[in-house]
Amino acid sequence: MKNISEEVFKKIKKENVKPKSYQYFATKNYFIWSLFGISIILGSFAFSMILFMFRQLDWDIYRYLGDSFLKTVFISLPYLWSIFLILFLGVAYYNFIHTKRGYRFRFISILLISLLASVIFGTGLYFNGFSESLESIFSQKIPYYNKLVYTCEKQWMQPRKGLLAGTITETRISKNSFSLMDFNNQHWEVNAGNTIWKGKLKPLKGEKIKLMGKMEDETHFIAIEIRPWKGQRQFTQ
Amino acid sequence: MVVTVKECIDKTDEQLVTLTLKNQEYYLCLMKRYESELLNYIMKISNGNKQDAEDILQETFIKAYQNLNDFDLSLKFSNWIFRITHNATISAFRKKKVSSKTVSWEDKDLDNILQSTLNVENANIQKLSYEHILKIINRLPLKYKEILILKYIEDKDYRAISDILHKPMGTIATLLNRAKKAITRELKKEGIDL
Repeated sequence: MKNISEEVFKKIKKENVKPKSYQYFATKNYFIWSLFGISIILGSFAFSMILFMFRQLDWDIYRYLGDSFLKTVFISLPYLWSIFLILFLGVAYYNFIHTKRGYRFRFISILLISLLASVIFGTGLYFNGFSESLESIFSQKIPYYNKLVYTCEKQWMQPRKGLLAGTITETRISKNSFSLMDFNNQHWEVNAGNTIWKGKLKPLKGEKIKLMGKMEDETHFIAIEIRPWKGQRQFTQ
Repeated sequence: MVVTVKECIDKTDEQLVTLTLKNQEYYLCLMKRYESELLNYIMKISNGNKQDAEDILQETFIKAYQNLNDFDLSLKFSNWIFRITHNATISAFRKKKVSSKTVSWEDKDLDNILQSTLNVENANIQKLSYEHILKIINRLPLKYKEILILKYIEDKDYRAISDILHKPMGTIATLLNRAKKAITRELKKEGIDL
């Protein structure tokens, strides 16, 4: 029988084969763990954005629009950020199974751990106002971003369907009306004679509001219900 | 400093790895310990001839030496070297470096598989020749064949198989179960009812 061990040993000596350094493998290992960590962080960003998108929308107006709840959910789902979350979870999984003992864990366990980490960190980021800032940066700096996401502005900027949002620019208490500049910088005259003002809202200049009602013509709107604009997000005017 | 076999005999694999990193002479002891076991494993997995298996083993030993610093001393060296061997064999198999040839398995190997997967007391099974059983095993998909070999011929436990195939233990149990079913299915195709 051929003595393979001896042959290999001679070859190792002759060709001066050396073991790769410990640092090489340690660096490789740190790199994989870092990519896993980065994927979890990016997944957290994505989850915080999903949470933000859900929380900023008004889920009770589907009745007013005459749509079913399911249809409203289908339209409003944050698809873009959900795709990002799935993508980052996939990258996290890929890196985790390539760590030294990652293969010992089941696919579902790794996925749930990664998802849980993204949910916990993402929720923390959301409550720290991070997602709101991120959304603002994305909507201003990333081309086509606004077309890809269903925002609160999109939900309320449907005057033909009886939904409008904007900032009060002038109030006329005696006439029960006020002027409003909407999200698209369009001027509106709002009749608020028979309006329910929700919350502690008062018709003051500079107040950001959402209106439910009826569009009379291209510049006139009859408000039935007015709500305060939730959150700290500013209209870009 | 030349190391004699005597110096290695009372040392564990893991101790030899540590010593090899300081003095390469110890690597010869490690290779000698696993040479025949790994050669048999390669031949059974790949169904290749001895020459091909020896080439793969040489490649394996060199690769293992180069990656010795990657070996985690808290794990078993045997699992680690089997893992490298397994990868090298599959890689050669995919590159079709291995020319297919029926490998002669030892009768006890086939007995081990049959006893563990099927009811060997069954009269129908006893009628089968070893060549016939071997044909059936070789017809199985690689993922089933390799798990049967590791479990019933190499006598590895679930943890070891998990470390070699880089799959969770639950998956190993599932695969083993499916492998047993696959053998039964193949036998039924041959008209052997169990």
